[in-house]
Amino acid sequence: MPRIACLLVPDLPVAAACRADPDLAGRAFALTDGLGPHARVAAASAAAHARGVRPGRMSAAQARAVDADLLLRLRDPAAERSAARALADVALSLASRVETAADGAVLLDADGATHLVGTEAGLAAALTARAARVGLAARVGIGASMTVARLAARHGDGGEVVPPDTEMGFLAPLPLACLAPSPDVAATLARWGVRTLGELARLPAAEAATRLGPDGPALIRRARGGDERPLAPDPPSATVEEAAALEYPIALLEPLLFVLRGLTERALARVGLQGVGCARLGLALGLEDRARDVRELPLAAPTRDVKTIVMLLRTALEATPPHAAIVAAALTVVPEAVRAAQLGLFAPPGPSPERLATTLARLAALCGDGRVGAPVVVDSHRPGLAAIAPFALLPPSAPPAAPTPAAPCRVAVRALRPPRPVEVFTERDGPAFVRGAALGGRVVGAAGPWRLAGEWWSTHGFARDYYDLELTDGGVYRCYRERDRWFVDGVYD
Amino acid sequence: MSAAATLLDRLGRPGGLRLGTGSSGSAPHHLPSGIDALDTALGGGFPRGRLTELSGPRSTGCTGLACAVAARTTQAGETIAWVDPQDALEPDAAAAAGIALARTLWVRPRAVPDALRATEILLGAGGFGLVVLDLGQPVGRTTAWPRLLHAAERSRTALLIVTSRREVGACAALALQVTSRRVRWSGGPGRRVLLDGIDARVTVVRNRLGRPAEAVVVRQACA
Repeated sequence: MPRIACLLVPDLPVAAACRADPDLAGRAFALTDGLGPHARVAAASAAAHARGVRPGRMSAAQARAVDADLLLRLRDPAAERSAARALADVALSLASRVETAADGAVLLDADGATHLVGTEAGLAAALTARAARVGLAARVGIGASMTVARLAARHGDGGEVVPPDTEMGFLAPLPLACLAPSPDVAATLARWGVRTLGELARLPAAEAATRLGPDGPALIRRARGGDERPLAPDPPSATVEEAAALEYPIALLEPLLFVLRGLTERALARVGLQGVGCARLGLALGLEDRARDVRELPLAAPTRDVKTIVMLLRTALEATPPHAAIVAAALTVVPEAVRAAQLGLFAPPGPSPERLATTLARLAALCGDGRVGAPVVVDSHRPGLAAIAPFALLPPSAPPAAPTPAAPCRVAVRALRPPRPVEVFTERDGPAFVRGAALGGRVVGAAGPWRLAGEWWSTHGFARDYYDLELTDGGVYRCYRERDRWFVDGVYD
Repeated sequence: MSAAATLLDRLGRPGGLRLGTGSSGSAPHHLPSGIDALDTALGGGFPRGRLTELSGPRSTGCTGLACAVAARTTQAGETIAWVDPQDALEPDAAAAAGIALARTLWVRPRAVPDALRATEILLGAGGFGLVVLDLGQPVGRTTAWPRLLHAAERSRTALLIVTSRREVGACAALALQVTSRRVRWSGGPGRRVLLDGIDARVTVVRNRLGRPAEAVVVRQACA
């Protein structure tokens, strides 16, 4: 017998609005389908309901007439989609087979999830807690079928578990309206005196088809706790998206970053459910002139640090600001596992992988792309070349038990990038005087020349005569002559 | 020697505690440079959790000395960071000095204030055995040194600042200054002349952990 769990947010538009703007929680507000006094009220918070606001039956003006202090907000389908996906992410963090229903309820295969949390009650508690982490107050129901799980979530105590073989007992007292029969069928059943699911379940299914039409047997099967079809899992999504439509155009960076911070926090909370980090970031801004500003921001390493991502967004937006005010924003996060490392007993403790990932992302945001990583020796004979590779944490190696013999200390070279052009005055036996920016003097020691040539087969070919020159300014320089021009490309230090 | 005996040697044998060597008041751990005379003068090497300043004019071997410490640290299996606002590090020279490049995080900020900030971020992350801030040029007045010192103390990371003249002041637990140097040239009449190396006289001008005013001649050779 399969076990299905249902994760349900009773009024998703209201919950999505509270998730996007936590200040709305507990306040009387209504969501409208459009602008102006004639716009229909699509949803209302519990406080607004208590004051008499009735969604679907009132216009914005009528709702205001009922409650003068009522807050009216435009319904945000993007935020609702994000909330529904967040609920699915909660389910995916504990189960691999998850289906999202049209009304935003999420059904998941509880068979494979209970071993993670012990019992079905534990699963219900874990789902509720994780939904709270992504900003949603969800109800959970667990039963033998999708119908039972959904009704348990809607009519249970918030974490209702219907044990096997007790489904009929749970369903029997529930009103017929729970199954949302068509008006004709509902009227017929009312005439028969059938008011609860228990009474409906007792009807003979074969004869119901002739009296109630094709919907009748299906309704009776559902009243007995059965399903019309098995769970149809959603295809897995490779990205996490959080979006919001703004109430008014934003033309300044700081207010925009405030909005983006909220989107980032919500997206990273969802990513955190899977225990992974954000590896790449996509930002799509809807502009006031109906254009779209889409950009992709790579991170140096996967991270879940909000500050790092906001810094990255700030850097990107400051470098190339959008050409018009912003009316909508969507943040797409590509999740990737944070690199893990096994520590050694004798090896020195290195940076923790997660903190290192965050550090790399912050450094990349501070220094720019391609300026943070591991140095790499370039396979070339041209001196002074450098390359940088993504920095990956190596497994720690134990230090040698016996101290290694000391290697001779080497003279290092400080590269000058790009090479500095200099004037060199030569005498019969070589360079005698050097003059350039921030360096210069009489040559007091010299070695060379020796010729370095290579890459003649490409457009970057070089043929240089190198000298080591000690000048009276105290420096020892690596100089070269190429096509009768002199350069300094390094200082021995 | 058996594996168990090796483990005991590394972990310490039961009852093998030498009396009078309690942790209170003990000297901090050090990163050796691999130059025996210098390590002896410094009481074991460059102190962890402290700020060390290494200053000297151009071509006095400061970078070579920093590379020597970095090489010993990476060879011991630790991860280091090299903050390089002047973009002056040559990977092949660093590899020739013995630095394990795969254990080196190279950070190239575009300006000195960014370099100071990057150093603070690295120290805050923790886990790096050594962070080298290769300024190379005078920085001028800054309030960053106390913050860096505090961050280094918390992370127990040795912070080595390489500058052309002394700037860190009282925040440095150890200040080394290259007071003089001699460039060695090999060869002679009839032979090809080559740059042989640099002999630098390194003076311990400040040492809050030991004896100052010791001078050591560090002999550096060209690869």
